[in-house]
Amino acid sequence: MKQNKRDLKLFKFGVVKLSLLLALILMIASWMFVYKVDHADFLGLFSAKNAFYSKKFLKGLLGIGAKSPAFLSIDSWQVALKLTYETLQMSIMAIGFATLGMIFTVIPAARNATNGTLTVSKKWYSQILFGIIRSAYIFSRAIPELVWAMIIIFVFKPGILAGALALGIYNFGILGKLCTEVVEDLDLKPIRNLASCGAGTGQILLYGIIPTVMPKFMTFIFYRWEVIIRTPIVVGFVGAGGLGQQFKFSMSYFQYSELSLLLICYLLLVAFADLLSEGSRRAIR
Amino acid sequence: MEKLHNSLDFHKRTLLTGGLILVFIWSLFSIKWGPDLLHPGGGTILLQIIKALFHPNLSSEILKLSLISAWRTLAYAVAGMTLAIAFAFILGILASGVLAKDKPGRLISKGILRGLLGFMRAIHELVWAWLFVASIGLTPFAAIFALVIPYGGTLGRIFADILNDVPEEPISALKSSGASKLQLLLYGYLPFAKTDMISYTMYRFECAVRSSTIMSFVGLGGLGYQIQLALQDLNYNDVWTYLFFLVALVVVIDFWSNILRRGLVE
Repeated sequence: MKQNKRDLKLFKFGVVKLSLLLALILMIASWMFVYKVDHADFLGLFSAKNAFYSKKFLKGLLGIGAKSPAFLSIDSWQVALKLTYETLQMSIMAIGFATLGMIFTVIPAARNATNGTLTVSKKWYSQILFGIIRSAYIFSRAIPELVWAMIIIFVFKPGILAGALALGIYNFGILGKLCTEVVEDLDLKPIRNLASCGAGTGQILLYGIIPTVMPKFMTFIFYRWEVIIRTPIVVGFVGAGGLGQQFKFSMSYFQYSELSLLLICYLLLVAFADLLSEGSRRAIR
Repeated sequence: MEKLHNSLDFHKRTLLTGGLILVFIWSLFSIKWGPDLLHPGGGTILLQIIKALFHPNLSSEILKLSLISAWRTLAYAVAGMTLAIAFAFILGILASGVLAKDKPGRLISKGILRGLLGFMRAIHELVWAWLFVASIGLTPFAAIFALVIPYGGTLGRIFADILNDVPEEPISALKSSGASKLQLLLYGYLPFAKTDMISYTMYRFECAVRSSTIMSFVGLGGLGYQIQLALQDLNYNDVWTYLFFLVALVVVIDFWSNILRRGLVE
Protein backbone atom coordinates (compact mmCIF):
# COMPACT_ATOMS: atom_id res chain seq x y z
CA MET A 1 0.00 0.00 0.00
CA LYS A 2 2.72 2.40 1.04
CA GLN A 3 4.80 1.35 -1.94
CA ASN A 4 1.81 1.97 -4.15
CA LYS A 5 1.28 5.42 -2.77
CA ARG A 6 4.90 6.33 -3.33
CA ASP A 7 4.70 5.03 -6.87
CA LEU A 8 1.67 7.17 -7.47
CA LYS A 9 3.43 10.22 -6.12
CA LEU A 10 6.44 9.51 -8.29
CA PHE A 11 4.17 9.11 -11.28
CA LYS A 12 2.47 12.40 -10.59
CA PHE A 13 5.74 14.20 -10.14
CA GLY A 14 6.94 12.64 -13.37
CA VAL A 15 3.87 13.77 -15.28
CA VAL A 16 4.30 17.37 -14.23
CA LYS A 17 8.01 17.38 -15.06
CA LEU A 18 7.51 15.65 -18.38
CA SER A 19 4.74 18.07 -19.30
CA LEU A 20 6.96 21.04 -18.54
CA LEU A 21 9.73 19.53 -20.65
CA LEU A 22 7.34 18.79 -23.48
CA ALA A 23 5.92 22.31 -23.32
CA LEU A 24 9.43 23.75 -23.50
CA ILE A 25 10.36 21.58 -26.49
CA LEU A 26 7.13 22.51 -28.24
CA MET A 27 7.75 26.20 -27.69
CA ILE A 28 11.29 26.08 -29.04
CA ALA A 29 10.33 23.91 -32.01
CA SER A 30 7.38 26.14 -32.85
CA TRP A 31 9.34 29.37 -32.79
CA MET A 32 12.11 27.78 -34.83
CA PHE A 33 9.52 26.61 -37.34
CA VAL A 34 7.92 30.03 -37.53
CA TYR A 35 11.30 31.67 -38.09
CA LYS A 36 13.06 29.12 -40.32
CA VAL A 37 10.28 27.67 -42.46
CA ASP A 38 7.77 30.51 -42.56
CA HIS A 39 10.49 33.20 -42.62
CA ALA A 40 9.05 35.38 -39.92
CA ASP A 41 11.08 38.54 -39.55
CA PHE A 42 10.40 40.56 -36.45
CA LEU A 43 12.69 43.49 -37.23
CA GLY A 44 11.34 43.58 -40.76
CA LEU A 45 8.01 44.62 -39.29
CA PHE A 46 9.41 48.05 -38.58
CA SER A 47 10.04 48.94 -42.19
CA ALA A 48 9.10 52.28 -43.69
CA LYS A 49 6.52 50.58 -45.89
CA ASN A 50 4.73 49.03 -42.93
CA ALA A 51 4.85 52.28 -41.03
CA PHE A 52 3.25 54.04 -43.98
CA TYR A 53 0.45 51.49 -44.28
CA SER A 54 -0.17 51.35 -40.54
CA LYS A 55 -0.40 55.09 -40.39
CA LYS A 56 -2.75 55.20 -43.34
CA PHE A 57 -4.88 52.45 -41.81
CA LEU A 58 -5.08 54.13 -38.40
CA LYS A 59 -5.91 57.46 -40.00
CA GLY A 60 -8.61 55.73 -42.00
CA LEU A 61 -10.06 54.18 -38.85
CA LEU A 62 -10.18 57.56 -37.15
CA GLY A 63 -11.76 59.09 -40.22
CA ILE A 64 -8.94 61.59 -40.77
CA GLY A 65 -8.92 62.78 -44.35
CA ALA A 66 -12.20 61.12 -45.20
CA LYS A 67 -14.86 63.40 -46.64
CA SER A 68 -17.59 62.11 -44.36
CA PRO A 69 -16.52 59.53 -41.78
CA ALA A 70 -19.15 56.83 -41.44
CA PHE A 71 -19.48 57.20 -37.69
CA LEU A 72 -20.68 60.78 -38.11
CA SER A 73 -23.48 60.01 -40.54
CA ILE A 74 -26.88 59.01 -39.25
CA ASP A 75 -27.60 56.70 -42.19
CA SER A 76 -24.52 54.60 -41.53
CA TRP A 77 -25.44 54.37 -37.87
CA GLN A 78 -28.90 53.16 -38.80
CA VAL A 79 -27.48 50.44 -41.04
CA ALA A 80 -24.91 49.42 -38.47
CA LEU A 81 -27.43 49.27 -35.64
CA LYS A 82 -29.76 47.18 -37.74
CA LEU A 83 -26.90 44.76 -38.37
CA THR A 84 -26.10 44.73 -34.66
CA TYR A 85 -29.70 43.83 -33.96
CA GLU A 86 -29.50 41.02 -36.52
CA THR A 87 -26.31 39.80 -34.91
CA LEU A 88 -28.01 39.74 -31.53
CA GLN A 89 -30.85 37.70 -32.98
CA MET A 90 -28.34 35.34 -34.55
CA SER A 91 -26.59 34.78 -31.25
CA ILE A 92 -29.87 34.08 -29.44
CA MET A 93 -30.91 31.64 -32.12
CA ALA A 94 -27.52 29.95 -31.94
CA ILE A 95 -27.61 29.44 -28.18
CA GLY A 96 -31.21 28.23 -28.56
CA PHE A 97 -30.20 25.58 -31.08
CA ALA A 98 -27.26 24.53 -28.95
CA THR A 99 -29.43 24.28 -25.84
CA LEU A 100 -32.11 22.27 -27.62
CA GLY A 101 -29.53 19.81 -28.89
CA MET A 102 -27.91 19.57 -25.48
CA ILE A 103 -31.20 19.01 -23.61
CA PHE A 104 -32.14 16.10 -25.83
CA THR A 105 -28.76 14.40 -25.59
CA VAL A 106 -27.42 15.19 -22.16
CA ILE A 107 -29.03 12.34 -20.22
CA PRO A 108 -27.99 9.46 -22.48
CA ALA A 109 -24.52 11.01 -22.70
CA ALA A 110 -23.94 10.93 -18.94
CA ARG A 111 -21.90 8.02 -17.71
CA ASN A 112 -24.11 7.40 -14.68
CA ALA A 113 -27.19 7.22 -16.90
CA THR A 114 -25.53 4.69 -19.17
CA ASN A 115 -24.60 2.24 -16.43
CA GLY A 116 -28.04 2.54 -14.92
CA THR A 117 -27.26 4.24 -11.60
CA LEU A 118 -29.13 7.41 -12.55
CA THR A 119 -32.46 6.20 -13.84
CA VAL A 120 -32.30 2.76 -12.23
CA SER A 121 -33.07 1.12 -15.53
CA LYS A 122 -30.57 -0.05 -18.07
CA LYS A 123 -31.30 -0.50 -21.73
CA TRP A 124 -29.29 -2.54 -24.17
CA TYR A 125 -28.77 0.37 -26.52
CA SER A 126 -27.60 2.86 -23.94
CA GLN A 127 -23.91 2.05 -24.42
CA ILE A 128 -24.14 2.60 -28.17
CA LEU A 129 -26.08 5.82 -27.73
CA PHE A 130 -23.51 7.01 -25.22
CA GLY A 131 -20.68 6.41 -27.68
CA ILE A 132 -22.41 8.13 -30.56
CA ILE A 133 -23.39 11.22 -28.61
CA ARG A 134 -20.02 11.58 -26.97
CA SER A 135 -18.21 11.42 -30.30
CA ALA A 136 -20.67 13.95 -31.69
CA TYR A 137 -19.79 16.28 -28.79
CA ILE A 138 -16.07 15.89 -29.40
CA PHE A 139 -16.44 16.41 -33.12
CA SER A 140 -18.64 19.45 -32.93
CA ARG A 141 -16.48 21.26 -30.43
CA ALA A 142 -13.12 20.37 -31.97
CA ILE A 143 -14.04 22.03 -35.24
CA PRO A 144 -14.16 25.83 -34.95
CA GLU A 145 -17.37 27.70 -35.75
CA LEU A 146 -15.81 29.32 -38.78
CA VAL A 147 -15.12 25.98 -40.42
CA TRP A 148 -18.66 24.87 -39.64
CA ALA A 149 -19.88 28.06 -41.25
CA MET A 150 -17.74 27.39 -44.32
CA ILE A 151 -19.37 23.98 -44.71
CA ILE A 152 -22.90 25.13 -43.93
CA ILE A 153 -22.72 27.94 -46.44
CA PHE A 154 -22.61 25.22 -49.11
CA VAL A 155 -26.04 24.03 -48.12
CA PHE A 156 -27.82 27.12 -46.85
CA LYS A 157 -27.98 30.50 -48.51
CA PRO A 158 -25.96 33.19 -46.78
CA GLY A 159 -27.96 34.75 -43.98
CA ILE A 160 -28.63 34.70 -40.29
CA LEU A 161 -29.79 31.11 -40.20
CA ALA A 162 -26.54 29.76 -41.63
CA GLY A 163 -24.52 31.65 -39.05
CA ALA A 164 -26.80 30.61 -36.22
CA LEU A 165 -26.53 26.97 -37.26
CA ALA A 166 -22.73 27.10 -37.41
CA LEU A 167 -22.52 28.71 -33.99
CA GLY A 168 -25.16 26.35 -32.66
CA ILE A 169 -23.35 23.20 -33.77
CA TYR A 170 -20.06 24.33 -32.30
CA ASN A 171 -21.57 25.33 -28.97
CA PHE A 172 -23.70 22.21 -28.81
CA GLY A 173 -20.52 20.20 -28.25
CA ILE A 174 -19.23 22.53 -25.57
CA LEU A 175 -22.54 22.82 -23.73
CA GLY A 176 -22.95 19.06 -23.97
CA LYS A 177 -19.57 18.43 -22.43
CA LEU A 178 -20.10 20.91 -19.60
CA CYS A 179 -23.61 19.72 -18.83
CA THR A 180 -22.89 15.98 -18.85
CA GLU A 181 -20.31 16.72 -16.19
CA VAL A 182 -23.04 18.35 -14.11
CA VAL A 183 -25.30 15.31 -14.51
CA GLU A 184 -22.45 12.97 -13.65
CA ASP A 185 -21.73 14.88 -10.45
CA LEU A 186 -25.36 14.67 -9.32
CA ASP A 187 -26.16 13.66 -5.77
CA LEU A 188 -27.92 10.34 -6.27
CA LYS A 189 -29.72 10.11 -2.91
CA PRO A 190 -32.89 12.03 -3.82
CA ILE A 191 -33.17 10.02 -7.00
CA ARG A 192 -32.81 6.76 -5.11
CA ASN A 193 -35.59 7.97 -2.83
CA LEU A 194 -37.86 8.75 -5.74
CA ALA A 195 -37.15 5.41 -7.34
CA SER A 196 -37.86 3.51 -4.15
CA CYS A 197 -41.21 5.33 -3.91
CA GLY A 198 -42.02 3.87 -7.30
CA ALA A 199 -41.34 6.79 -9.61
CA GLY A 200 -40.90 5.96 -13.28
CA THR A 201 -38.07 7.20 -15.48
CA GLY A 202 -40.06 10.23 -16.61
CA GLN A 203 -40.98 11.18 -13.07
CA ILE A 204 -37.39 10.80 -11.89
CA LEU A 205 -36.33 13.10 -14.69
CA LEU A 206 -38.99 15.68 -13.91
CA TYR A 207 -38.77 15.78 -10.11
CA GLY A 208 -35.31 14.47 -9.38
CA ILE A 209 -32.90 15.49 -12.07
CA ILE A 210 -34.18 18.64 -13.76
CA PRO A 211 -34.62 20.80 -10.61
CA THR A 212 -31.10 20.00 -9.42
CA VAL A 213 -29.24 20.52 -12.66
CA MET A 214 -31.21 23.45 -14.04
CA PRO A 215 -29.43 26.32 -12.23
CA LYS A 216 -26.03 25.03 -13.29
CA PHE A 217 -27.20 24.52 -16.85
CA MET A 218 -28.42 28.11 -16.86
CA THR A 219 -25.05 29.37 -15.72
CA PHE A 220 -23.34 27.50 -18.52
CA ILE A 221 -25.85 28.64 -21.10
CA PHE A 222 -25.33 32.26 -20.13
CA TYR A 223 -21.59 31.81 -20.12
CA ARG A 224 -21.66 30.34 -23.62
CA TRP A 225 -23.99 33.08 -24.81
CA GLU A 226 -21.46 35.66 -23.66
CA VAL A 227 -18.89 33.89 -25.80
CA ILE A 228 -21.23 33.49 -28.75
CA ILE A 229 -22.00 37.19 -28.86
CA ARG A 230 -18.33 37.78 -29.67
CA THR A 231 -18.29 35.31 -32.54
CA PRO A 232 -21.14 36.20 -34.94
CA ILE A 233 -18.76 38.71 -36.43
CA VAL A 234 -16.53 35.79 -37.31
CA VAL A 235 -19.06 33.56 -39.02
CA GLY A 236 -20.18 36.70 -40.83
CA PHE A 237 -16.84 36.67 -42.63
CA VAL A 238 -17.87 33.71 -44.73
CA GLY A 239 -21.15 35.39 -45.56
CA ALA A 240 -23.29 34.19 -42.73
CA GLY A 241 -24.92 37.56 -42.17
CA GLY A 242 -24.79 40.18 -39.44
CA LEU A 243 -22.01 42.58 -38.55
CA GLY A 244 -19.27 40.28 -39.80
CA GLN A 245 -20.44 40.28 -43.37
CA GLN A 246 -20.48 44.07 -43.49
CA PHE A 247 -17.12 44.12 -41.74
CA LYS A 248 -15.64 42.05 -44.53
CA PHE A 249 -17.20 44.23 -47.23
CA SER A 250 -15.88 47.42 -45.66
CA MET A 251 -12.46 45.80 -45.35
CA SER A 252 -12.45 44.79 -49.00
CA TYR A 253 -13.51 48.26 -50.16
CA PHE A 254 -11.01 49.95 -47.82
CA GLN A 255 -13.76 51.96 -46.13
CA TYR A 256 -11.94 52.15 -42.85
CA SER A 257 -14.13 54.70 -41.12
CA GLU A 258 -17.08 52.35 -41.64
CA LEU A 259 -14.91 49.67 -40.07
CA SER A 260 -14.48 51.65 -36.88
CA LEU A 261 -18.22 52.28 -36.75
CA LEU A 262 -18.82 48.53 -36.96
CA LEU A 263 -16.21 47.93 -34.28
CA ILE A 264 -17.92 50.43 -31.99
CA CYS A 265 -21.26 48.65 -32.50
CA TYR A 266 -19.58 45.32 -31.87
CA LEU A 267 -18.04 46.50 -28.60
CA LEU A 268 -21.39 47.96 -27.52
CA LEU A 269 -23.05 44.64 -28.21
CA VAL A 270 -20.42 42.74 -26.23
CA ALA A 271 -20.75 45.13 -23.28
CA PHE A 272 -24.54 44.87 -23.40
CA ALA A 273 -24.40 41.07 -23.43
CA ASP A 274 -21.97 40.99 -20.51
CA LEU A 275 -24.24 43.23 -18.43
CA LEU A 276 -27.37 41.28 -19.29
CA SER A 277 -25.92 37.87 -18.57
CA GLU A 278 -24.30 39.07 -15.34
CA GLY A 279 -27.69 40.42 -14.22
CA SER A 280 -29.62 37.27 -15.08
CA ARG A 281 -27.02 35.08 -13.44
CA ARG A 282 -27.37 37.10 -10.27
CA ALA A 283 -31.16 36.74 -10.51
CA ILE A 284 -31.11 32.94 -10.55
CA ARG A 285 -28.45 32.60 -7.91
CA MET B 1 -40.45 32.50 5.84
CA GLU B 2 -37.72 30.45 4.32
CA LYS B 3 -40.28 28.42 2.48
CA LEU B 4 -41.79 31.54 0.99
CA HIS B 5 -38.35 32.73 0.01
CA ASN B 6 -37.60 29.39 -1.60
CA SER B 7 -40.80 29.35 -3.58
CA LEU B 8 -40.19 32.93 -4.72
CA ASP B 9 -36.73 31.85 -5.81
CA PHE B 10 -38.23 28.96 -7.66
CA HIS B 11 -40.68 31.23 -9.44
CA LYS B 12 -37.94 33.63 -10.40
CA ARG B 13 -36.13 30.77 -12.04
CA THR B 14 -39.24 29.52 -13.83
CA LEU B 15 -40.04 33.03 -15.00
CA LEU B 16 -36.54 33.47 -16.32
CA THR B 17 -36.64 30.14 -18.12
CA GLY B 18 -39.99 31.00 -19.67
CA GLY B 19 -38.70 34.41 -20.71
CA LEU B 20 -35.67 32.90 -22.33
CA ILE B 21 -37.75 30.42 -24.28
CA LEU B 22 -39.92 33.29 -25.50
CA VAL B 23 -36.86 35.26 -26.56
CA PHE B 24 -35.63 32.26 -28.50
CA ILE B 25 -38.97 31.89 -30.28
CA TRP B 26 -38.95 35.62 -31.04
CA SER B 27 -35.53 35.24 -32.63
CA LEU B 28 -36.86 32.49 -34.87
CA PHE B 29 -39.38 34.93 -36.34
CA SER B 30 -36.59 37.04 -37.78
CA ILE B 31 -36.15 34.48 -40.54
CA LYS B 32 -38.45 34.06 -43.47
CA TRP B 33 -38.89 30.31 -43.29
CA GLY B 34 -39.28 28.48 -46.55
CA PRO B 35 -37.43 26.58 -49.23
CA ASP B 36 -35.60 29.78 -50.18
CA LEU B 37 -33.24 29.28 -47.28
CA LEU B 38 -31.51 26.38 -48.99
CA HIS B 39 -29.38 26.65 -52.07
CA PRO B 40 -30.99 24.96 -55.03
CA GLY B 41 -29.53 21.49 -54.75
CA GLY B 42 -28.42 22.18 -51.20
CA GLY B 43 -29.96 18.91 -50.09
CA THR B 44 -27.85 16.86 -52.46
CA ILE B 45 -24.72 18.68 -51.39
CA LEU B 46 -25.58 17.94 -47.77
CA LEU B 47 -25.94 14.26 -48.65
CA GLN B 48 -22.61 14.31 -50.47
CA ILE B 49 -20.91 15.90 -47.48
CA ILE B 50 -22.39 13.32 -45.11
CA LYS B 51 -21.43 10.48 -47.44
CA ALA B 52 -17.88 11.80 -47.61
CA LEU B 53 -17.71 11.61 -43.80
CA PHE B 54 -17.55 7.83 -44.08
CA HIS B 55 -15.03 7.88 -46.90
CA PRO B 56 -12.31 10.33 -45.91
CA ASN B 57 -9.47 10.53 -48.40
CA LEU B 58 -6.67 8.44 -46.89
CA SER B 59 -4.15 8.57 -49.72
CA SER B 60 -0.57 9.05 -48.58
CA GLU B 61 -0.25 12.47 -50.22
CA ILE B 62 -3.21 13.87 -48.36
CA LEU B 63 -2.10 12.27 -45.11
CA LYS B 64 1.35 13.81 -45.46
CA LEU B 65 -0.13 17.20 -46.24
CA SER B 66 -2.47 16.90 -43.26
CA LEU B 67 0.42 16.09 -40.95
CA ILE B 68 2.42 19.12 -42.07
CA SER B 69 -0.64 21.36 -41.88
CA ALA B 70 -1.53 20.05 -38.44
CA TRP B 71 2.00 20.82 -37.25
CA ARG B 72 1.84 24.32 -38.69
CA THR B 73 -1.48 24.93 -36.95
CA LEU B 74 -0.03 23.62 -33.69
CA ALA B 75 3.19 25.60 -34.06
CA TYR B 76 1.35 28.89 -34.47
CA ALA B 77 -0.89 28.11 -31.54
CA VAL B 78 2.15 27.37 -29.37
CA ALA B 79 4.01 30.45 -30.58
CA GLY B 80 1.00 32.62 -29.82
CA MET B 81 0.48 31.02 -26.43
CA THR B 82 4.11 31.54 -25.36
CA LEU B 83 3.82 35.29 -25.78
CA ALA B 84 0.26 35.33 -24.42
CA ILE B 85 1.34 33.55 -21.23
CA ALA B 86 4.24 35.95 -20.75
CA PHE B 87 2.00 39.00 -21.18
CA ALA B 88 -0.81 37.51 -19.11
CA PHE B 89 1.55 36.68 -16.29
CA ILE B 90 2.86 40.21 -15.99
CA LEU B 91 -0.45 41.96 -16.63
CA GLY B 92 -2.36 39.52 -14.45
CA ILE B 93 -0.11 40.08 -11.45
CA LEU B 94 -0.34 43.84 -11.88
CA ALA B 95 -4.12 43.70 -12.40
CA SER B 96 -4.64 41.62 -9.28
CA GLY B 97 -3.14 44.46 -7.24
CA VAL B 98 -1.11 42.18 -4.97
CA LEU B 99 2.06 44.17 -5.63
CA ALA B 100 0.54 47.58 -4.92
CA LYS B 101 1.76 49.30 -1.79
CA ASP B 102 -1.36 51.10 -0.60
CA LYS B 103 -5.05 51.11 -1.28
CA PRO B 104 -5.28 53.93 -3.86
CA GLY B 105 -2.34 52.42 -5.74
CA ARG B 106 -4.06 49.08 -5.82
CA LEU B 107 -7.31 50.57 -7.07
CA ILE B 108 -5.56 52.48 -9.82
CA SER B 109 -3.52 49.50 -11.05
CA LYS B 110 -6.55 47.26 -10.83
CA GLY B 111 -8.83 49.67 -12.65
CA ILE B 112 -6.50 50.55 -15.49
CA LEU B 113 -5.16 47.07 -16.12
CA ARG B 114 -8.49 45.32 -15.83
CA GLY B 115 -9.89 47.77 -18.34
CA LEU B 116 -6.98 47.08 -20.66
CA LEU B 117 -7.40 43.32 -20.33
CA GLY B 118 -11.13 43.69 -20.95
CA PHE B 119 -10.48 45.61 -24.15
CA MET B 120 -7.93 43.03 -25.31
CA ARG B 121 -10.36 40.19 -25.02
CA ALA B 122 -13.50 42.00 -26.14
CA ILE B 123 -12.37 41.84 -29.75
CA HIS B 124 -12.24 38.43 -31.36
CA GLU B 125 -8.90 37.09 -32.58
CA LEU B 126 -9.99 37.02 -36.19
CA VAL B 127 -10.93 40.69 -36.07
CA TRP B 128 -7.52 41.44 -34.62
CA ALA B 129 -6.01 39.38 -37.42
CA TRP B 130 -7.79 41.47 -40.05
CA LEU B 131 -6.69 44.67 -38.41
CA PHE B 132 -3.10 43.47 -38.29
CA VAL B 133 -3.10 42.31 -41.88
CA ALA B 134 -4.41 45.69 -42.93
CA SER B 135 -1.61 47.44 -41.10
CA ILE B 136 1.46 45.16 -41.24
CA GLY B 137 0.59 42.94 -44.19
CA LEU B 138 0.51 39.18 -44.52
CA THR B 139 3.31 38.08 -42.22
CA PRO B 140 3.36 35.23 -39.70
CA PHE B 141 3.41 37.88 -37.02
CA ALA B 142 -0.03 39.14 -38.01
CA ALA B 143 -1.43 35.76 -37.02
CA ILE B 144 0.70 35.45 -33.90
CA PHE B 145 -0.12 38.93 -32.62
CA ALA B 146 -3.78 38.33 -33.35
CA LEU B 147 -3.62 35.29 -31.10
CA VAL B 148 -1.55 36.97 -28.41
CA ILE B 149 -3.83 39.93 -27.75
CA PRO B 150 -7.17 38.23 -26.96
CA TYR B 151 -5.53 35.23 -25.32
CA GLY B 152 -3.28 37.46 -23.24
CA GLY B 153 -6.39 39.39 -22.19
CA THR B 154 -8.39 36.34 -21.17
CA LEU B 155 -5.51 34.59 -19.43
CA GLY B 156 -4.48 37.79 -17.66
CA ARG B 157 -7.97 38.38 -16.34
CA ILE B 158 -8.20 34.78 -15.09
CA PHE B 159 -4.71 34.91 -13.54
CA ALA B 160 -5.71 38.08 -11.70
CA ASP B 161 -8.92 36.43 -10.46
CA ILE B 162 -7.04 33.34 -9.29
CA LEU B 163 -4.47 35.46 -7.42
CA ASN B 164 -7.28 37.38 -5.74
CA ASP B 165 -8.90 34.14 -4.62
CA VAL B 166 -5.81 32.93 -2.73
CA PRO B 167 -6.76 32.32 0.94
CA GLU B 168 -5.92 35.15 3.33
CA GLU B 169 -4.31 33.27 6.23
CA PRO B 170 -0.99 32.14 4.76
CA ILE B 171 -0.52 35.57 3.22
CA SER B 172 -1.05 37.41 6.48
CA ALA B 173 1.24 34.91 8.21
CA LEU B 174 3.98 35.73 5.72
CA LYS B 175 3.24 39.43 6.07
CA SER B 176 3.56 39.35 9.82
CA SER B 177 6.94 37.66 9.54
CA GLY B 178 8.12 40.67 7.54
CA ALA B 179 7.99 39.51 3.94
CA SER B 180 8.20 42.16 1.24
CA LYS B 181 5.56 42.47 -1.49
CA LEU B 182 7.70 40.53 -3.95
CA GLN B 183 8.38 37.78 -1.41
CA LEU B 184 4.65 37.62 -0.69
CA LEU B 185 4.05 37.04 -4.37
CA LEU B 186 6.79 34.43 -4.80
CA TYR B 187 6.22 32.42 -1.64
CA GLY B 188 2.58 33.16 -0.83
CA TYR B 189 0.44 33.86 -3.88
CA LEU B 190 2.10 31.95 -6.70
CA PRO B 191 2.48 28.53 -5.02
CA PHE B 192 -1.22 28.61 -4.18
CA ALA B 193 -2.35 29.81 -7.57
CA LYS B 194 -0.03 27.58 -9.59
CA THR B 195 -2.34 24.61 -10.12
CA ASP B 196 -5.33 26.63 -11.25
CA MET B 197 -3.21 28.79 -13.49
CA ILE B 198 -1.67 25.83 -15.26
CA SER B 199 -4.90 23.96 -15.79
CA TYR B 200 -6.62 27.04 -17.16
CA THR B 201 -3.68 27.69 -19.45
CA MET B 202 -3.98 24.17 -20.83
CA TYR B 203 -7.64 24.74 -21.55
CA ARG B 204 -6.82 27.94 -23.37
CA PHE B 205 -4.11 26.14 -25.33
CA GLU B 206 -6.78 23.82 -26.70
CA CYS B 207 -8.77 26.89 -27.76
CA ALA B 208 -5.66 28.41 -29.31
CA VAL B 209 -5.33 25.43 -31.64
CA ARG B 210 -8.85 26.09 -32.90
CA SER B 211 -8.15 29.80 -33.29
CA SER B 212 -4.95 29.14 -35.15
CA THR B 213 -6.95 26.97 -37.53
CA ILE B 214 -9.22 29.83 -38.47
CA MET B 215 -6.29 32.17 -39.01
CA SER B 216 -6.26 30.64 -42.49
CA PHE B 217 -8.61 33.47 -43.31
CA VAL B 218 -5.76 35.91 -43.15
CA GLY B 219 -3.51 33.69 -45.22
CA LEU B 220 -1.89 31.52 -42.60
CA GLY B 221 -1.31 28.01 -43.90
CA GLY B 222 -2.31 25.03 -41.84
CA LEU B 223 -5.37 22.88 -41.48
CA GLY B 224 -7.87 25.70 -41.88
CA TYR B 225 -6.27 26.78 -45.14
CA GLN B 226 -6.34 23.25 -46.52
CA ILE B 227 -9.97 22.88 -45.51
CA GLN B 228 -10.80 26.11 -47.28
CA LEU B 229 -9.02 24.98 -50.46
CA ALA B 230 -10.61 21.54 -50.42
CA LEU B 231 -14.05 23.07 -49.94
CA GLN B 232 -13.51 25.38 -52.90
CA ASP B 233 -12.57 22.36 -55.02
CA LEU B 234 -15.62 20.50 -53.69
CA ASN B 235 -13.34 17.71 -52.42
CA TYR B 236 -15.47 16.76 -49.45
CA ASN B 237 -13.49 13.59 -48.83
CA ASP B 238 -10.31 15.64 -48.33
CA VAL B 239 -12.19 18.05 -46.10
CA TRP B 240 -13.09 15.27 -43.72
CA THR B 241 -9.51 13.98 -43.61
CA TYR B 242 -8.31 17.41 -42.49
CA LEU B 243 -11.18 17.67 -40.04
CA PHE B 244 -10.25 14.31 -38.53
CA PHE B 245 -6.69 15.55 -38.04
CA LEU B 246 -7.99 18.68 -36.36
CA VAL B 247 -10.21 16.63 -34.06
CA ALA B 248 -7.29 14.33 -33.23
CA LEU B 249 -5.10 17.33 -32.39
CA VAL B 250 -7.71 18.72 -30.02
CA VAL B 251 -8.38 15.33 -28.43
CA VAL B 252 -4.66 14.74 -27.79
CA ILE B 253 -4.31 18.13 -26.11
CA ASP B 254 -7.44 17.47 -24.07
CA PHE B 255 -5.97 14.13 -22.96
CA TRP B 256 -2.68 15.76 -22.03
CA SER B 257 -4.35 18.46 -20.00
CA ASN B 258 -6.45 15.85 -18.17
CA ILE B 259 -3.37 13.85 -17.17
CA LEU B 260 -1.51 16.99 -16.17
CA ARG B 261 -4.41 18.20 -14.06
CA ARG B 262 -4.54 14.87 -12.29
CA GLY B 263 -0.80 15.07 -11.73
CA LEU B 264 -1.05 18.56 -10.27
CA VAL B 265 -3.85 17.82 -7.83
CA GLU B 266 -2.25 15.63 -5.20
